[in-house]
Amino acid sequence: MRRLSAGLTAGALLLVATACGSSGDEPSKGGGSSGGITTVKVGLIPIVDVAPLYLGQKKGFFKEQGLELEFTTAQGGAAIVPGVASGQFQFGFSNVTSLMVAQSNGVPVKAVANGIASTGESGEDFGALMVKKGSPLKSPKELEGRKVAINTLKNINETAVRASVRSAGGDPDEVEFVELPFDQMPAALDKGQIDAAMVVEPATATIKNQEGVEIASPLVDVAPDLTVALYFTSKQYAERNPEVVEKFQKAAAQSLAYADAHPDEARETITTYTKIPADVLAKVTLPKWPAEPNRASIEALMKLGRSDGLFKTDPNLDELLP
Amino acid sequence: MRGTNAALGVAGLAGFLAPAEAAPRLGLVDEEYVPPASRIAVALGEEAGDPAFWTALGDTLTGWALGLAIASCAGVVLGVVLSVVPYLRQATASTIEFLRPIPSVALIPLAVLLYGSELRSVLLLVVYASFWQVLIQVLYGVQDVDPVAEETARSYGLGTWARIRYVLWPTALPYVMTGVRLAAAVALILAITAELVIGAPGLGQRIGVAQTSQAVPEMYALIVVTGLLGLVINVGARAVERRALAWHQSVRGEVAV
Repeated sequence: MRRLSAGLTAGALLLVATACGSSGDEPSKGGGSSGGITTVKVGLIPIVDVAPLYLGQKKGFFKEQGLELEFTTAQGGAAIVPGVASGQFQFGFSNVTSLMVAQSNGVPVKAVANGIASTGESGEDFGALMVKKGSPLKSPKELEGRKVAINTLKNINETAVRASVRSAGGDPDEVEFVELPFDQMPAALDKGQIDAAMVVEPATATIKNQEGVEIASPLVDVAPDLTVALYFTSKQYAERNPEVVEKFQKAAAQSLAYADAHPDEARETITTYTKIPADVLAKVTLPKWPAEPNRASIEALMKLGRSDGLFKTDPNLDELLP
Repeated sequence: MRGTNAALGVAGLAGFLAPAEAAPRLGLVDEEYVPPASRIAVALGEEAGDPAFWTALGDTLTGWALGLAIASCAGVVLGVVLSVVPYLRQATASTIEFLRPIPSVALIPLAVLLYGSELRSVLLLVVYASFWQVLIQVLYGVQDVDPVAEETARSYGLGTWARIRYVLWPTALPYVMTGVRLAAAVALILAITAELVIGAPGLGQRIGVAQTSQAVPEMYALIVVTGLLGLVINVGARAVERRALAWHQSVRGEVAV
């Protein structure tokens, strides 16, 4: 109760400070170890992207390193980033832009392993800018004055769509972006509440099922082989437990390589932690899972984020990236 | 009387289910996003066959019951203490009015900071939301004490404890019951919301997974479960209320009709 009232009076501004404080108080919390196996908590969103970790756990790659993963699935960054920053979760999964924004806001995050990359093939990516069947819109340029749905405003998908509009010769400031969760986009598009939607799987497959049309692959347009998301930890955890981080990195790299080489097994794993209907899952485009992040692509993303005004201070990639 | 009520209840439910089945079938809404009631029922049946569903239901009920118990006890004890000591009541009035309107959901990042995705995170949100429902009712209830009865008790030499027991408590009890009944519903809403957003185990988390998976019938099936849970909780709370207030005018009056 005392901690609650303290937190309340401190208010949202002090959230980050509280984060440092509470993890300082309880450095040993979570990450317990017994019999040579260290249990680490990983905060994830239950989507296609994180299949390699589930697969790697199943294949025993983490156990070989002496790690046991305990998964927590949340709806998004609202729960994962503060959880990792305060040491409640040891690792988390987040897109690159969110991590750069967090870092520029002074939240001490540190990427440890690659998450996912775009397939790099326009028209065959897991993320797509789509319009409904029969829409007159053919190019991102025509989105000026139209309503485009983005899952989180001022984040990676908005930046990417703005880049696509710009490179097609349009003015992204003329586009009306509205925030909508991915899972609600197919219905909103179908109803005509929005003119276009920036979706990722499995919503991409759902819209394709309705004969929706892809007018751009924004994540492909940002940079070749764009690194979209990363696994991360807090700076303090990385400093205090370098050996755990190293083990996680090794096992994650092995898991990513395995999942990339065995897409059918990855697809099978997805059924264990999501409820994606079988007919949709069969049509889902899997992302790429390279073992290493692509720094050049992240720099391109940072440049776009800067011109779209996402960062308070410039992100420091040397500190952020593994 | 009871039979008529039940019949009316069934008629009301049928009046709701029939359009829910017909609208998607007639193409008024897209079947893919609003599946007909029968398809939701099938998904509900599949859920019921999954042991993980029952574990989730148990997790949700644990969070709800613990949270409600903590909030009710704290609300009653604090409410009585604040009312008995007038200075305390005056000193805390503005703080209560400041804290009460803060939406519990806004505390999600704080809950995650303190407790991660454990039960304690859910409890923090549940207790915060339902505590005020009880506290405010207790404060009103105590204000309602008849000054003549209070003075009489004093002049008969009853001590503070005895006056709380025999004068204050019977007057406040109907209010407390209303508060707990409101808190029971609020606690359920917050338990599910916390699980949905934070990812603590429970029905809410299953709804979240179904949502991100585009498994629409499963999602609605789970939402129906939360609705049913709310119904059961309300019926239960009313039964407890009737029993606890069997002596009270309001309940006796209801029975006589």
